[in-house]
Amino acid sequence: MAYVRVDGAVKFFDREDGTDMLVLEKVSFDAQENGITCLVGPSGCGKSTLLNAVSGLETLDQGHVEIVSNQSDAAHLPRIGYVFQDPRLLNWKRVEGNLIFALKGMRIPEEQWQERIQKYLNLVNLLEFRKQYPLYLSGGMRQRVGLARALVIEPEVLLMDEPYSKLDQLTARKLREDTLSICTRLKQTAVLVTHDVEEAAYMGDRIVILSARPAHVTEVVDNPFQPVARDLDDLRFIEFKKKLLKSVLRSMQ
Amino acid sequence: MLSLAVEAMANQEKILIARQEVQSALNEELTELPRRNSNKINEGIRNIGLRVASILTLILIWWLLSLFFPPTLIPKPSETFTEVATIVSTGNFFSEMGSTLRRVGVGFGIAMIVSIPLGILMGTLRSFESFFEPPVILGLTMPGLIWAVLMIMFFGLNETSAYAAVAITIMPMLAISTWQGTKSIDKDLIDMSKAFHASPWSKVVDVILPQLISHILAAIRYGLGLAWKVVVVVEMFGLSNGVGYQVVRGFNIFSMKAVLAWAISFLVVMIIIEFGMIGWLEKAVTKWRPRAEAWRR
Repeated sequence: MAYVRVDGAVKFFDREDGTDMLVLEKVSFDAQENGITCLVGPSGCGKSTLLNAVSGLETLDQGHVEIVSNQSDAAHLPRIGYVFQDPRLLNWKRVEGNLIFALKGMRIPEEQWQERIQKYLNLVNLLEFRKQYPLYLSGGMRQRVGLARALVIEPEVLLMDEPYSKLDQLTARKLREDTLSICTRLKQTAVLVTHDVEEAAYMGDRIVILSARPAHVTEVVDNPFQPVARDLDDLRFIEFKKKLLKSVLRSMQ
Repeated sequence: MLSLAVEAMANQEKILIARQEVQSALNEELTELPRRNSNKINEGIRNIGLRVASILTLILIWWLLSLFFPPTLIPKPSETFTEVATIVSTGNFFSEMGSTLRRVGVGFGIAMIVSIPLGILMGTLRSFESFFEPPVILGLTMPGLIWAVLMIMFFGLNETSAYAAVAITIMPMLAISTWQGTKSIDKDLIDMSKAFHASPWSKVVDVILPQLISHILAAIRYGLGLAWKVVVVVEMFGLSNGVGYQVVRGFNIFSMKAVLAWAISFLVVMIIIEFGMIGWLEKAVTKWRPRAEAWRR
């Protein structure tokens, strides 16, 4: 397993008129091993940019991202599983074909494919749909395929970019529960970006609160509740959620 | 709160289902099972019927016209179809049609090998776009007939000029379709493939080409229409076999029957290829897409 250390991340974007816009203003945080770290902040504050920087899709102007892994093989690419806001599936490939696309990309030996596909589709409850095309599945199921595709490469770090924001409330709730239990079971190091405070309180072992743009870390909160003890209806949990909401609102000023 | 509500809902649903089961057991004799209104099959029959009716109408008009003109100008449909039968039964038809099909096939193959990669490069790299846009647009405006003449003059009276004429006529169109298709591909999927470290080969084969297929198929449909025209012209001008040559022969002996018979048999083969083969190919490569044509009448 691995942990992520982001140190003094600075990122500028080009505005329409050609001037620079500061998006990330020296963001530093650690995503701890075997747990979910939630990045929570207002819409458009640069959370997704930060996640892209962790994954290597985006380069930083200053600062750096470190993925510290106990796998001593120096040459290997850090294995990062990415779950996007839209499922971003290859609709012309069957469910298992989408998983194979990731396995192939990450150079996982072919003899492991079948076993892994079996294991991770089973984990997201989609084993019976392995031969189905994505467009014949519901939105929630497609998002599950996206999760399975990220997990099947057995990533050192799982990155999730608002993966529930386009689902209906009940589907999102079920998928959150499932993702949390899967991550706990797999002892998965994960970073989840969200603007939903309840989601952050429910999913995050550690919650990193970001300010409005340009983003910087205003507060880091460690979740006092163990994953199994997070009951959305429990009064103490609701108290915690309220406190968190206050902190997030404060960070927006 | 919410979980309680969900549970309550689930329970209520169970009760409801149980009740319905009892009810349905009681009413089994009285009520019909739910049945789907199945006018799908009727619709299919109607569509085929309309197509057959359309062709029959054309033949009827032809027959009516043949009553007013001498058979050297407009032969009777029945006589023409007898001529078609003769061409086909003597085996002449297959060798001549085969030559024409080979010319179209080879020309098409060359055009695809050149134009699809070119179109992809034009869609991905701005420098390629700027450099190749003028020749592609110019090539598109050039009539196929002129290409045919130019190729015969350049390569002489042989197969090469037929292949070249077909290839060069459809290249620009195929390149434009691929180029526009490449520009409209989903950037999010490219990001996704980067996130999973897909190899350049996998990016092209798994991510880019499948998004281009419908553009390429449309281009092939249109390109085939152009190719038939060009190949017939080349055969008329300079070759000694093929459907175009046979049509010219019919013209030289002034046999309207022969010209029409070749034209009709050629049409039938074209229709089989365009609707049969390409239609089948289209279905095969888009079977991942649920059909949604609910808005059509």
